[in-house]
Amino acid sequence: MAKTKPSRADQLLYLLTYPLNWIEERTSAPGRSGIIGGIKYFLFRKVPSDISWGHTLGSAALTAFIVQAVTGVILAMYYKPDPNSAYESIRHITDDLWAGWLVRGMHRWGASVFIILLFLHMGRVFLYGAYKYPRELNWIIGVLILVLGMMEGFFGYLLPWDQTAYWATVVGVNLQATGPFVGPFLGDILRGGAELGPDSLARFYSLHMLVIPGALAALIGLHLWLVVRIGVSSPPWSPIEAGRPEPGPPPAKRKGLVAPAPRGARKR
Amino acid sequence: MNRRLEERRAYYARYKQTTKTRGKPFFPYAMFHDTVMSLLVVCVIVALAVIWKYSTPHEDPSSSGWLGKLYDEKADPGTTNFVPRPDWYFYFLFYLLRIFKWPDSVLLGTVGVPTIALLLLIALPFIDIGSERRPLRRPVAMTAAVLTIITMGVLTYKGATAKEPLAAENLVLVPQWGQKQGFAGNPTAMDGGKIFAQVGCMNCHTYEGAGTSNLGAPDLTSIGKTSNRGVAGFADYVSNPSKFGNNVMPQFQDLGADNLRKLGTFLQSSGNCNPKSSNCPAAGGQ
Repeated sequence: MAKTKPSRADQLLYLLTYPLNWIEERTSAPGRSGIIGGIKYFLFRKVPSDISWGHTLGSAALTAFIVQAVTGVILAMYYKPDPNSAYESIRHITDDLWAGWLVRGMHRWGASVFIILLFLHMGRVFLYGAYKYPRELNWIIGVLILVLGMMEGFFGYLLPWDQTAYWATVVGVNLQATGPFVGPFLGDILRGGAELGPDSLARFYSLHMLVIPGALAALIGLHLWLVVRIGVSSPPWSPIEAGRPEPGPPPAKRKGLVAPAPRGARKR
Repeated sequence: MNRRLEERRAYYARYKQTTKTRGKPFFPYAMFHDTVMSLLVVCVIVALAVIWKYSTPHEDPSSSGWLGKLYDEKADPGTTNFVPRPDWYFYFLFYLLRIFKWPDSVLLGTVGVPTIALLLLIALPFIDIGSERRPLRRPVAMTAAVLTIITMGVLTYKGATAKEPLAAENLVLVPQWGQKQGFAGNPTAMDGGKIFAQVGCMNCHTYEGAGTSNLGAPDLTSIGKTSNRGVAGFADYVSNPSKFGNNVMPQFQDLGADNLRKLGTFLQSSGNCNPKSSNCPAAGGQ
């Protein structure tokens, strides 16, 4: 049997998709899809057809988080976490660097936008009753993301090392140290001593740019994985709400009050 | 078998089925909405940064634009004339501390109420276990949500508009205090009053009706009578309150021994002097 030569188009397609197929084969178990298959599933999975703008608040918060990550990495290249130079390095970023004010401004205001979007997203989930079975765990993860997001705000607030930030943080840490049992202990750990100084700034910096963002990224990943796996809920008032029971025959207790509908009349 | 659980499982199975048969693919339909919204978010963030920068007057970069200053003054642990201000999303917690007073119930404001609120938030799916999702058929949940939003809104607003008096405004009150309390003839106590007015005490404490009650700090109008520590005792307390179990108040040891002694005299004189006879037991001290 003569070999048929593949067409030009087929050859080109094979060449172009080769890297993708290579990755897919090396990330999959036999019979299961790999990374490329996963991305395909993510993109082309079915979502309820009645979802709309309300469902974009979560991805909007994710976008704000990404803005914070990118601008934060750039700021970390110029910021100096030391009480003697922190304030000057912030002024240097704001006044001297090209677009430094923009990066710092985006990071500063992006934080507020992130928090607002987290609250709006939470409000949307509450309004839709989307925290109910089977999405309880994702609600809890979401609350943890909100708490960590606000902690990012608290630890980042000190970094410019200006008067407002410094004294607000002194009071904040002291308040937190009033807590029973672990309170004073936590206060000492955060300050790295009896007073807010060089050690505290280094600790706040490390928490703000390594520990909490890492935990946040992991929780956001888990949150998204559950969203994709379980699926997003339809608006509960939607006439084509996914999961709503098909209208069946009227319940038995109504017998005698309402005349039974003729057979088939209530079917869609 | 639990009927509620069966109903839930049946709902979820139906959900998966309907979505599979009648749903639409995430790309491009839902992704289009997400992309538009994300671009809007980035634009808003950039716009805020631009407004922040360009509403600040060029001739004076340290002044405040529409969105506040580009930078405050550098932190100085030595000065205690400060206005502790958290970022706006902590205002509700900040104001909570004005409601609960030191020392009896301050723990409720710092730890109690926030912890309970957080636990309730986490526990929400286990408290509200009905399968009904339509807002109008969840009157209890919706009422709770509206009340929560109103409470948070009011606390945030009150926190934002809570005014701390300026040092210069307090300073003019010191002679009146001397008259009212009867230590006007004692220069040490009067100097202590001036220090009290300026170094930030009145950001948290009230005195003769002036100042702000904040973070649960007590009124100090007659502290010399109610908490009779003596001049040295007050100086010691103010220099390091945590030694006396008060972890909220900052340390003021940077004021120096001389200023602390004046401040101590002022506090000891408060409520202990007789305005009519100018008889002041603390006045002669040290």
